[in-house]
Amino acid sequence: MLFSSITFLYYFLPLTMALYLMVPKRFKNLVLLLASLVFYAWGEPKYVFLMAGSILLGYGFGLLIEKFRGKRAGRFFCIVSVLFSLSFLLYFKYADFFLENFNAVTGAHIPLLNIALPIGISFYTFQLISYTVDVYRGEKAQKNIISLAVYIAMFPQLIAGPIVRYSHIAGQIEEREYSWNGMAEGIRRFVTGMAKKILISNQLAELCSVFRASGEKSVLFYWLYALSFMLHIYYDFSGYSDMAIGLGRILGFHFQENFNYPYISKSITEFWRRWHISLGTWFRDYVYIPLGGNRLGKGRQLLNILVVWMLTGFWHGAEWNFIVWGLIFALLLTAEKLWLLKILEKSKVLAHIYTLFLVMLSFIIFNAQDMGQAFSDIGGLFGIGGISLLSAEAVYCLKSFSVVLFMGIVGVMPAVRNFVGYIGNKPAGGRILNIAEPVILVGLWLVMTAYLVDGSFNPFLYFRF
Amino acid sequence: MHGKKENMVVCILFALLLYGGFLLCLFMPGPRYLESERRAPAAAPVLTGDALWSGRFMTGFEDYGMDAFPFRDFFRSIKALTAGGVFHRLDNNGVYVADGYISAMEYPYDDKSLDRAAERFRYIYDKYLTDENRVFLSVIPDKNCFLAGEYDRLSMDYGEFERQMAEKADFAEYIRISDLLEREDYYKTDTHWRQERILDVADRLAQSMGTELSKDYETHGVEGDFYGVYYGQAALPVEPDRIWYLTGEAIDNCRVYDWQNGREIPVYNMENAMGRDPYEMFLSGSLSLITIENQDARTDKRLVIFRDSFGSSIAPLLIDGYSRITLADIRYIHPDMLGKFVDFEGCDVLFLYSTLVLNHSDTIK
Repeated sequence: MLFSSITFLYYFLPLTMALYLMVPKRFKNLVLLLASLVFYAWGEPKYVFLMAGSILLGYGFGLLIEKFRGKRAGRFFCIVSVLFSLSFLLYFKYADFFLENFNAVTGAHIPLLNIALPIGISFYTFQLISYTVDVYRGEKAQKNIISLAVYIAMFPQLIAGPIVRYSHIAGQIEEREYSWNGMAEGIRRFVTGMAKKILISNQLAELCSVFRASGEKSVLFYWLYALSFMLHIYYDFSGYSDMAIGLGRILGFHFQENFNYPYISKSITEFWRRWHISLGTWFRDYVYIPLGGNRLGKGRQLLNILVVWMLTGFWHGAEWNFIVWGLIFALLLTAEKLWLLKILEKSKVLAHIYTLFLVMLSFIIFNAQDMGQAFSDIGGLFGIGGISLLSAEAVYCLKSFSVVLFMGIVGVMPAVRNFVGYIGNKPAGGRILNIAEPVILVGLWLVMTAYLVDGSFNPFLYFRF
Repeated sequence: MHGKKENMVVCILFALLLYGGFLLCLFMPGPRYLESERRAPAAAPVLTGDALWSGRFMTGFEDYGMDAFPFRDFFRSIKALTAGGVFHRLDNNGVYVADGYISAMEYPYDDKSLDRAAERFRYIYDKYLTDENRVFLSVIPDKNCFLAGEYDRLSMDYGEFERQMAEKADFAEYIRISDLLEREDYYKTDTHWRQERILDVADRLAQSMGTELSKDYETHGVEGDFYGVYYGQAALPVEPDRIWYLTGEAIDNCRVYDWQNGREIPVYNMENAMGRDPYEMFLSGSLSLITIENQDARTDKRLVIFRDSFGSSIAPLLIDGYSRITLADIRYIHPDMLGKFVDFEGCDVLFLYSTLVLNHSDTIK
């Protein structure tokens, strides 16, 4: 089920919230779990059993790891649990990729499995790994299967993150606070996230679709597409994260932040501290550091970076362009670590341009069907292939989407937030904002409902992963 | 910044929106027909084990939820107004309003679609026609042709469109009518042309095909407002149209037979004029095969028109020059079936199609 759908907003959410708030504390997790299973089954009725099986395995392994903690068996069960989790992911997400490449290299004709990718499998697999590894590292195993299932399957973050760490949330699963302040904070965050998704991201996605379908590409159109997709993916994913964090807050949870204005970064290193934070830190804590991190010398550190970023790319999708995408970041991060950061520090403007340009190119590769299309799209930015500078369609799109693009660009900077904060701190400004805010929230809600009623184009990008 | 009172206000408002919407969705009956979109709404799915397991129930419910949403048209208008007023989008779902006219932005020109249309026309030519048949082709430009340039919208190269179509269907003599048309010849809220404003077009077609038409018509107005198909798509407040129709001796005395339903029908179906799509008053709308017999014919000439819905309003104007006109809509009848009903021997044949159909010719059988 999509957050930004009539079904979620006007059927699922009111029913779930009513039940959740009405039942006594001890039943809240049960209600949350049942609602989450319905939420998941709405999109994947068959794969709900796969997720349930994964949770059961995680639960069992957690108990075993705790029982044998400090012994070789504990380590063994931890490794087996990780392997089990990864094997599901490998089978459902990557089997065809490996078969395709095996066929291509050997000339064999092994038929592809054509398995539908279970929604959110990349996210909940990582949460399960986080759980068993955290237990191995000393966290208490969860004795209550419902509590563990709530951690894995909780609907706000189930299908597109943020990747919630067990150690961060274990306490909140057992005991959490509800308050007007928390709920209002969650509502503000949820509505803001939905506005980012419906009012900005979806319109930019429309522009990207028009570009892709167009038969009259031009240099202007390629740049328009590159900019639009860069903004679209940010608003789509950060909007989803805002909604997830907001819903979590309404339900009494505090999820980790996932984005922190990544497009104001002055280096790729900084960009990845601000973009998909929960994934970056997951790879750092569960792959990079266990591989040795920076403790085993420069050479090993660079190798670790390469492995981590190749896996990060591969996590995003079972295609070569995702691996290339990850490896490009590995190279850039390595270069920055070795010498580039020092140069970038000399000019903030150049550092911004460098970062934004490379991130934009990386997202062109990210969104390409294959590497051929990626090269062609990047070439298009520079007029390679004899394309014209302008085309009627590109000029029209520039005019028609100019306000959305402008809003999109302004919104990636903290200026609006800072301005609102500045006004809010003034006595008169604070009073005005207190009156304006509910009006704006209600207005946004009605406009977003209008966009949902009017159109059916609403897929979230990160469901692919 | 936010005190407890402000936070309570936000929570209460949110609850009102959430539960107000929920109760309305639950208890307010959905529409039986979506007037503005001219389609039946998605029905509520039936809950069965199979429907749940296959996911059909869920997808069905998503469609139902959107179609049955309370005050759907009001919300669609909010969306259209926001798109134009706040985001300054130049079109809303490919439709725009300029100077009171609503038009779809027909773009881009699809060469493959023209190839397909020409191939289907050639199939008819090869199957039924000989050198003795005089074959004509005419392309009706859509309204965007006359609005886009002035209002900065995307527009096909209509001249090139006509040239290409004439070239691809080179077995037919091309009759150009685009020079006779202007935006006022179209309804403001609908795709179609206005019958009372296309006498010159009918005259050009008749003359090019070697026949003469009476110019003696009486104009009548249909009571009530006409909200055309674009009105619903645009979801914006625009002045409605009024339908006018022409009568004359030949039109008054002709007999129209609907082969699809095996019945006689009037030239102007006044029941349809009061119905959901008033333009269907012209020859009762989308019917696959119709013949119009001219009781007072001065000639034994016969004409077969392969046409889309634009043909419904112009065909009555041509009947004065023929003893019989057959209208075939090969979007609804396969050309192979036509031999059973239509005698092509000695007939003139006119392929009369709008750019809207030619540019999306996958609807042609």
